[in-house]
Amino acid sequence: MTATVTTPGPRRARALRKKAVLPWLFLAPGLLLALVFKFLPMGKGVWLSFFDVRPFLGDQWVGLDNYTRVLTDHRFQDAIGHTLVLGIGMSLGAIVAGFLLALLLEGQARSLKIIRTAVFLPVVTATAVVGEMWRLMYYPTSDGLINSGLGLLGLGPVPYLDNPDTALWATMAMGIWMLAPYNMVIILAGLAGVDRSLYEAAAMDGVSLWQRLRHITLPAIRPALGIVLTLAAIRGLRVFTEVYVLTGGGPAGSTDVWMTRAYTLGFSRNDIGGASAASVLLLCVTLLLTVTVNYFRKRGDVR
Amino acid sequence: MRDRRRCIDMRLRRVRRLAAALAVSGFLFGTAACGSGSGSARAGDPNTLEVWTRSDPESAQTYERVFAAFTKKTGIKIDYQPVMNFDQQLQSRASTKDLPDVMINDTALMGSYQAQGLLEPVDPASIAGHDEITAKSWSSTVGRDGRHYGIPYSRQAMTLFVRKDWREKLGLPQPKTWQDTLALAKAFATRDPDGDGRKDTYGMVVPGSAQNGYVAWWGASWLWQGGVRIIEKEGSGYRPAMDSAAALRTVTWMKDNLFCGDNGVIQPSALTSVTANTTNFQDGNAGMYLTGPYNISTFDKALGKDTFEVLPAPAGPAGNDVLADGENVYFGARTGKAKQEQTLAAFLISPEGQTLAMTGDHQPVVRIPVNSTLDAAKVRGDARWSVVQKAYEDDSLQFPNAPDWAPIKQDTADSLNALFTYCGSDVKAGLKELNDTLAGDLKDQDLLK
Repeated sequence: MTATVTTPGPRRARALRKKAVLPWLFLAPGLLLALVFKFLPMGKGVWLSFFDVRPFLGDQWVGLDNYTRVLTDHRFQDAIGHTLVLGIGMSLGAIVAGFLLALLLEGQARSLKIIRTAVFLPVVTATAVVGEMWRLMYYPTSDGLINSGLGLLGLGPVPYLDNPDTALWATMAMGIWMLAPYNMVIILAGLAGVDRSLYEAAAMDGVSLWQRLRHITLPAIRPALGIVLTLAAIRGLRVFTEVYVLTGGGPAGSTDVWMTRAYTLGFSRNDIGGASAASVLLLCVTLLLTVTVNYFRKRGDVR
Repeated sequence: MRDRRRCIDMRLRRVRRLAAALAVSGFLFGTAACGSGSGSARAGDPNTLEVWTRSDPESAQTYERVFAAFTKKTGIKIDYQPVMNFDQQLQSRASTKDLPDVMINDTALMGSYQAQGLLEPVDPASIAGHDEITAKSWSSTVGRDGRHYGIPYSRQAMTLFVRKDWREKLGLPQPKTWQDTLALAKAFATRDPDGDGRKDTYGMVVPGSAQNGYVAWWGASWLWQGGVRIIEKEGSGYRPAMDSAAALRTVTWMKDNLFCGDNGVIQPSALTSVTANTTNFQDGNAGMYLTGPYNISTFDKALGKDTFEVLPAPAGPAGNDVLADGENVYFGARTGKAKQEQTLAAFLISPEGQTLAMTGDHQPVVRIPVNSTLDAAKVRGDARWSVVQKAYEDDSLQFPNAPDWAPIKQDTADSLNALFTYCGSDVKAGLKELNDTLAGDLKDQDLLK
């Protein structure tokens, strides 16, 4: 009797153990890679940010000096301002543009698939290549693609990248062009889940296009927008290659962003401690922003 | 079996180095550090030297020829890595305390490397043929502590490249002064020198971005010619010198005439251009370029040898000194292969090594030989190189080699780029601010007097 009672116990426990271990086994390679390539470097980065880094002479503990130096450097302060303008502008612009593209390109037609693929190309093209392409497009004479277009209208040429008043906006335009198709794909997935009968009912009620967007489409794609916003919050502040290739942070530092400044600190000035401190600060702000966006998203979902 | 072990060893080494590279660069630089230079199976082999040069694929082919000749002669193998983003990769490797055995890179970086302890001191007497290098060249490898930290390998000075066919078509003389240069630049921009009936040519090419300090590098020759020094030696230290009357006069002249003057004197987008994307001269739409002689072979291929001329830089109010720089051979700290490294250095500075590096079908990696028994023009059979050699020997000035020059160059570039961008800016106030910043840089290095 006892045996019949006790036998399933260990078997169930074994099964449970197996069940519990199996997912971890599948996860192990990914976790190991993340540990080696992500979390250990991250930890080392935080550690280095408290030192004057001199691998061959011995690192010197400087406490919060690197942080103080970074935060009180007026070039860094300017760069933080540019990062916020560029990050927010690029993120919102790319969400709006991605949403519009998704509305335009939603559907099953074969031609739409081809157009969607073409529109998606900027996402899979190397940022450095895109940057070089846009440098040519922005060429500040009538030979440049955009300026030759303006020339037809009797305007320009405009020195987009060489004028400190326009360089940041020109960089933002390129960023939106690159990011919008990515958002488009996520929003398209959201749109696919919208109940068509709601549109039909709305059409019968004779509602306007704007009302249909506001009361049916936008609420329905709220989860997709949440994902897009979270990704934008992470990506917006990390902008680097676009700026580095297009303007190198110039002219006169007018497009210098957090990452280009940190890169200059690390590799033009060989100040790895300062660059690490700048990177840690960026990580903290990104985390804060991501958590905030998620909080509001979840609160919105509950409501 | 040995191959397999070597393969495993190589993989482990790569993983270790990559992890360390990622570690030093933290969140920011991790992914960028996975490129070339991360791994060699033979780094532990005493008869193999790992050698890095900052080279593009074109000049790397010349280096490969030089190293092949060295291996044939001495039996010492070379594990050669041409590295484009040299300093980024070097910082990553420094964090693993496993530097390349030998590095060939810019002279102006020596102070920076020494300040970080990346270099092994060099006793000139230990390098066979050291007496064939001039005292002037050897003096440029002395560090802050009076010891040598590099072996001169190649030298160069900037010269002015001018479209000869355009100049002759417009009937204008070779420029001898800043004013001549300006007049010629304006003529190139406005008098349709290519005869296509369109206003699509520019006077002068300028890599004027602050990125990696480019505008300070290009602008140094103009500063020297205006009698300006960025920092000046004083006793055992230095003092910043960008608040001088000469600096005010020179920077104002550059701003008013080149950057904020007549449209077309310099190419569009100069303020965000680095040398890699400043191709207007070889593209055939700009008439002048004050730059290094390594471009001669590129321009020969793109434009044809007879279309342009190589001239000494025109003189400014204080003479026609130009920026001299070049490359040194550096020994990585703690590599433990001193004998082999010295043998390689001796070969690289020998007439044979220098000649190999100056000739061939690809871009030469020795421009002006440091070996005083050689004549650049004779070795190449090209008289244009004598203009460069003369400029280097008679009218050139290097960046000071002992301080960590990287922050000084970057701050100077940031400041000049800003002054040239804002045409209404107050040059005097801008230079005063730069001078204070430079004082801070020197103070950080305990060099401020």
